Amino acid sequence: MTTYDERASLSSLTATAERIRGAVEGVIEGKPEVVRLSLTVLLAEGHLLIEDVPGVGKTMLAKALARSIDCSVRRIQFTPDLLPSDITGVSVFDQQRRDFEFKPGAVFAQIVIGDEINRASPKTQSALLESMEERQVTVDGHTYELPRPFMVVATQNPVEMEGTYPLPEAQRDRFMARVSMGYPSPEAELRMLDAHGCSEQASPLDDLQPVAHAHEIVKLVEAVRTVHVADAVRRYAVDLVTATRHHPDLRLGASPRATLHLVRAARAAAALAGREFVLPDDVQALAPAVLAHRLLPTAQAQLGRRGAEHAVLDILQRTPVPDPSAQAWRQARRL
Amino acid sequence: MTGQARLTVSAAVATLAASCAMLPLVDKSVWILQAAFLLALQSTAGVLARRVPLARPLTVAVQALTGLLLLTVAFAGEQAVAGLLPGPEVFHEFGQLVQEGAEDVGRYAIPAPATAGIRLLLVGGVLVVGLAVDAVAVTYRSAAPAGLPLLALYSVAAGLGQGSYGPLWFLAAASGYLLLLLAEGRERLARWGRVLSGGRTAPPAPGPATAGGGRLARVRTGRRIGALALGIALAVPAALPSMQGGLFEPAGRGAAPGSGPGGTTSVKPLVALQDSLNQPENRELLRLRSSAENTRDLYLRIVALDRFDGAAWQTTERPLTELPAVLPAPAGLAAGVRTSRVDTTLTASDGYAQNYLPLPYPAEEVRAEGRWRYEQEGRALVGERGQTTRGIRYQVSSLQVEPSAAQLAGAPAPPEEILRAYTRVPSSLPPVVAQTARKVTAGSANAYQQAVMLQDWFSVGGGFQYDTQVASGTGAEAVARFLAAKRGFCIHFSFSMAAMARTLGIPARVAVGFMPGTPMADGSVSVGSKDAHAWPELYFEGIGWTRFEPTPSRGTTPEYTVAEPSPGAEPGGGPAQLPDRTAVPPSAPKGTDACPPAQKKLGECRSPAAPVEGSGPASGSPSAGTVAGVAVAALAVLGLPLLPMLWRRRVRARRLGGPGTAPAAAAPADAPVDALAAGHTLAAWRELTDSAWDYGIPPDDSRSPRGAAARIVTAGALQGAAAESAGRVAAAVEQVLYAPRPRPVPGLAEDVECVRAGLHAAAGRGARLRAVLLPRSSARLLWGLARLRSFSRRRSAAA
Repeated sequence: MTTYDERASLSSLTATAERIRGAVEGVIEGKPEVVRLSLTVLLAEGHLLIEDVPGVGKTMLAKALARSIDCSVRRIQFTPDLLPSDITGVSVFDQQRRDFEFKPGAVFAQIVIGDEINRASPKTQSALLESMEERQVTVDGHTYELPRPFMVVATQNPVEMEGTYPLPEAQRDRFMARVSMGYPSPEAELRMLDAHGCSEQASPLDDLQPVAHAHEIVKLVEAVRTVHVADAVRRYAVDLVTATRHHPDLRLGASPRATLHLVRAARAAAALAGREFVLPDDVQALAPAVLAHRLLPTAQAQLGRRGAEHAVLDILQRTPVPDPSAQAWRQARRL
Repeated sequence: MTGQARLTVSAAVATLAASCAMLPLVDKSVWILQAAFLLALQSTAGVLARRVPLARPLTVAVQALTGLLLLTVAFAGEQAVAGLLPGPEVFHEFGQLVQEGAEDVGRYAIPAPATAGIRLLLVGGVLVVGLAVDAVAVTYRSAAPAGLPLLALYSVAAGLGQGSYGPLWFLAAASGYLLLLLAEGRERLARWGRVLSGGRTAPPAPGPATAGGGRLARVRTGRRIGALALGIALAVPAALPSMQGGLFEPAGRGAAPGSGPGGTTSVKPLVALQDSLNQPENRELLRLRSSAENTRDLYLRIVALDRFDGAAWQTTERPLTELPAVLPAPAGLAAGVRTSRVDTTLTASDGYAQNYLPLPYPAEEVRAEGRWRYEQEGRALVGERGQTTRGIRYQVSSLQVEPSAAQLAGAPAPPEEILRAYTRVPSSLPPVVAQTARKVTAGSANAYQQAVMLQDWFSVGGGFQYDTQVASGTGAEAVARFLAAKRGFCIHFSFSMAAMARTLGIPARVAVGFMPGTPMADGSVSVGSKDAHAWPELYFEGIGWTRFEPTPSRGTTPEYTVAEPSPGAEPGGGPAQLPDRTAVPPSAPKGTDACPPAQKKLGECRSPAAPVEGSGPASGSPSAGTVAGVAVAALAVLGLPLLPMLWRRRVRARRLGGPGTAPAAAAPADAPVDALAAGHTLAAWRELTDSAWDYGIPPDDSRSPRGAAARIVTAGALQGAAAESAGRVAAAVEQVLYAPRPRPVPGLAEDVECVRAGLHAAAGRGARLRAVLLPRSSARLLWGLARLRSFSRRRSAAA
């Protein structure tokens, strides 16, 4: 049950989120939906995968999001020769203490920016699996907790680009959402030229100051957990995910983890909208971003140029929103 | 095969299927092959023209030209330029052929011989209809109206064929049309994309609407509806005899209309009677030589129709026996009646095939070639195992019964079993028939006088006109219609007189056969197709079945019904006691009084037969039951279309009438909505979506309330307050459905009304009218009924 405090924390959440969004949008112009989705993933304690062609501002978005929050940030540039231990850390023998000492890897930060994640070999990428799902790292039998909040923001080029490896399904499934930046509108591109066209050095990130503290984010995440999800909405999320497992265009459907992620993201989206309950609209708006990257289209669908997003949109159009109204109405008439 | 090719083939097949209805009209069916071949060529021309592609009118023109060329080659090749191109001679030839064909159609009974003229009419007709169907369904892509030319083709065939139409031809024509519709639907669907078969893995089915087999099920449902409609169309007219459009039932057992090879004529089905009478040519069917001094009373009976069931006069099925050497004595004939023996030799022509033997009545001995069996009650001879009269020669010895009027007048009451069997009238017989019978026979002293008065009223005094062109009808209603219209031919006269006699308690039946033919120079008598006739037979105890002749200008009036100046009549009985029939009916015009009925009947009286005013049965008023029935039916017919509107109004009032939807709820704004108020909010929402549906925005299950409201605002072009109201209702229903503690939103009923007003304002006139009179959301009523039905079926299955 929502209390007065919770409602107050919801409104403070909205205010904080607005601040972060303002800061990020100062850097990434003309992409409010992308920024909003990034925030949603942050508040839902998920990880974000930014996929697009080079040069559209993926890394800029990741860095802007990281920098607008006052927290520890590490960046990993994924290269083909990157090793798993570079990510998780390594135990080094200390001559003086005559003992092994753990040197934490790049993943030990609150926001980890994995740039060009699909340029590393699958072996290296797999090093992220444990940390992303369980928020811990196990090296040489020792388990090390990761700090809260913990978010991986990874960027990648589409698989068709040269020198890339496809992400393993297990890893894709651990990302809560995938966004595509898309090209900016001509106006936004013009504004970008005006602001940064004269010098290479003047990055907009330089002006970006943190607008929220890490512990604020932790509180916000907890507030998001209080957002109410009605049975009908849960049912709807399950229906959507189940539909991906039977769609004729899909070879691999979404996992139960996808259902969890979808509902968590929908909670965050509702909280961002200042609502204390989730609507089917939240689920519908997030379904393509949350589900599409986990799905594998059949060869026939690929030949027909019907991608996973197409399948998700198709499912959204076909799946009825559970209508408890008929039942509720009958009950009401009986009263 | 591409969709369009399939459509073209379907159009041609539909045309041919409807053309099959013409098959029974002509004795040889080869013309249909010719028509099919030419139609195929014409359709191919259409396919090629569309592939070019030509403009639509040009395509039709190309096809028409192709059809003309094909007809030229097929029917006027000799007159054509280079054997192909139609010149003026070709059109002249066509004109002549069409004229000949039209004459042949009038001249021959069905089935007619396939003369060149008739063939041109048939093949040309099929090509023209095929062109129309192809143009409408394929070129202009609208299959439904293509049913009109098909219907026209079928109607012409069915109209010409009259009663000889089986359900098979209708089934063929209707199936062809359904096939065309199916092909068009498929083609239309294919234009949107791939047509999926139902066999693939379907998406999950959380709701009934997205069931995987739904597409297939819908197709199956469509086919079921088609089959059901066809079945009903065939079954309902059979179950409702009064709906038969005046079809004559075949008049006896073993009826096989048009049986036998070409060129035969059969008088057995009563329809053929009218056909025969309407033929311009009188074909000789029988030639007879009789020992009778006077052959003008030599009627030849084929069969007696003794059962009047409301739909028609029919023959009762009775057992057949071996043909005895001497037939039993006729029923009811007593010794005192004067009879004379007549020997007749008859020869049937080769073109006359009838499985009843025409006989004088009452026959005593029959010597006929072939297998004939005897039916005692009707004294009819029936051919066994396909035995017909074709070309046979037979001798008959019969009695010529010459009762006196006194004997008839003094006849005692008939036996009970005859009275019971032959005075039965159907309950559907309009009361006006009995009323008229009583009115006409007012003042009569006995059954004989009643019979004579009826006969004279029909033949002379009633103002009836002999007309073979009127539509034949045989049911109980047809009798009343005939009494009102006073136009008809022997069937109407005999049927009506027999029915009226039955209402008066006189046993009566209808005999079908031939009236006396034309005496020839060599002393023989020729009986032709135009002599086909029907007449009533009334039963008088002591005399038996006695012929009467109510039909004006046809046959001969029996001597015993003509009043003669009876010098030797004994006082107190006999013809002298008869009312002066020249004065009957009393309302007969005075100018005709001097003319004896026999002369009048033969049209020898100069004075015109003025219609009798006031005596027509049309003045008979329908019963109260009929009035009530008609009123209820009219109310139902008027009320049924209004049902959706009335239902919709009631539903709206119920949905918007709840307290939760009323404005300014007294509860504090923060208090959660109770279940009742929640129900009313949902009712308001349902009303909103249904109102939008009425205005052409169908509900979409895959949309959330907010999405649905946004769609209504966009699709319904709502602005300002209406758009805001839609948003408010959606927000309220979101609260109820999804919020942990919903907050009440007041004034939802007003909001819904506001949205309705907005939709109404934005819609066109037609859409507004439809939303009020035929709201789309009344489909929910049907769904509800269907659910109820399946629920009750499930429950009964469980029980």
